[in-house]
Amino acid sequence: MTVAVRSTRRAAPRKPSTQSMWRRELARGKSVLIGVIAAVVLVIIWYLLTLPGGLIQPLFLPPPQGVATQFITMLSEPYLGSTLWGHAIASLGVVLEAWALGGIIGIPLGIAVAWWKRARWIVWPLFQLIRPVPPLAWIPLAIVWLGIGDVARVAVVFVAALVPWVMNSIEAVRSIDPLLVSAARTLGASEPQILMRVVVRTGLPTILAGARIALGNAWTTLVAAEMLAATAGLGFVALNASRVLDLDTLLVAMGTIGILGAALSILISSAAQWIAPWAED
Amino acid sequence: MNTTVIKTGAPMREADMNDATPKMEIRGVSKTYTTRKSETYALETTDLSIGTGEFVTIVGPSGCGKSTLMMIAAGLEEPSTGEILVDGSPAGPAGPKRSVVFQRFALFPSETVAQNIGFGLSVAHVSKVERTERIKEQLTLMGLEQFRNSYPKELSGGMQQRVAIARALIVRPEILLMDEPFAALDAQTRTVMQEEVSRLHRRMQSTVFFITHSVEEAVYLADRVVVMSKRPGRIKKEISIPHDAPWRTGDIEDAMTYGDFNELRKEIWDLVREEITTH
Repeated sequence: MTVAVRSTRRAAPRKPSTQSMWRRELARGKSVLIGVIAAVVLVIIWYLLTLPGGLIQPLFLPPPQGVATQFITMLSEPYLGSTLWGHAIASLGVVLEAWALGGIIGIPLGIAVAWWKRARWIVWPLFQLIRPVPPLAWIPLAIVWLGIGDVARVAVVFVAALVPWVMNSIEAVRSIDPLLVSAARTLGASEPQILMRVVVRTGLPTILAGARIALGNAWTTLVAAEMLAATAGLGFVALNASRVLDLDTLLVAMGTIGILGAALSILISSAAQWIAPWAED
Repeated sequence: MNTTVIKTGAPMREADMNDATPKMEIRGVSKTYTTRKSETYALETTDLSIGTGEFVTIVGPSGCGKSTLMMIAAGLEEPSTGEILVDGSPAGPAGPKRSVVFQRFALFPSETVAQNIGFGLSVAHVSKVERTERIKEQLTLMGLEQFRNSYPKELSGGMQQRVAIARALIVRPEILLMDEPFAALDAQTRTVMQEEVSRLHRRMQSTVFFITHSVEEAVYLADRVVVMSKRPGRIKKEISIPHDAPWRTGDIEDAMTYGDFNELRKEIWDLVREEITTH
């Protein structure tokens, strides 16, 4: 047996060459740079348009420096009961709660529907009926049943988050290569072991993609829900500011909603990379 | 035993070959696929015995039902008639007694090389100490040490198939089933892998049931070549290869320089060709 000797001439694992990695880094740097320049240009145009005696009245669009000042003020001074931090935390709390709840219920539900025919027969028609109802259409019902507290908002946001959790969990199971299941079976794996170790684990990247969509859905729905029924939160701030034509505050709220939404998306993408490093890019 | 020609080999081996109970017996197995509209007769009633330590290759035209036979032998498909026996008893559902190496590797993408190899042990709750030890042994045997923490997608086809073979061997199967394992590899890698499997078989005295569409591969690896007819598949002829055939120590390229090898290859190829050209 000369296997050990042979191994020395075997090729090293394929790694992206240093050169191509450089190029990718450079490309990424370039795209970030372009994005920053575009944002700066936009702010400059905004500034020029809103100069005293400029094209746009501050009543419709306040100057950028006014919004920036208001942003800094709101970080420390309460507005409608709490600081910007407080409102952001209120919004994030509801979103994360509803999103996590969606996952806890949606993942097993999706897997069950895809794996067991009986579960599919019971759940699928009902799910298909509920799915096309826009999450915001649940708000009136949620207010009647649960009032205007956090629970009502969590419920509405939960509905919005649940659908992608379920759909992607189903897809994760359905897209499994049957040969992997056969291989596991010939190696002595039981049905529960096949389900957990092969099917779910292999499908994890798809489930994580669902998690990201669910979080995006949850965030947008929350802001809408807060506009209709809330006592705190970024959507609530935005709505109240618009009612008194306080456009500085309105823009601060909108900007914060945008930034936090983008941050959540980036956060969950990195988490997915960390949880499932084997996933195809 | 259906074997007719057994040339003298190592004494121990001959004792094995003459053992009354074959390692695996395919007894009266046939397969008909029934759909709503039609019935497809995939495999005629087939009987085949594989002795302990024997390397049996099946060669036949594509679509002849050899893969069906393999799936049934592995317990992954139910035969329409007949049964599979291992050591004289019904083999039951698929399991580690009959581990399989597939053409498309079928490695678990979410697991590292070491985790893939250890799969069969961890689902059987083998202790961590023993598992680590046996994984290490396989990594060494297959020359995979440096890849232990790589994911399958980071490996070349040949390396992936090495992992699949290690994963199938670690559970110490009674019989190793290989379903065209090298068909997806490039020619050079295939030659190297054929030689390694041949060497592995001689060293470990494992029982192997190997499907291929390559006549050279069938002759080079086998103790016995089984030629199948076109669909519905049946065993057309069995040809024993001398155990002390001189080409066993070299690779397949060397084997082609032997007159005996080429004669056998020609004989078997003619049998296969009849199945491809006749209608």
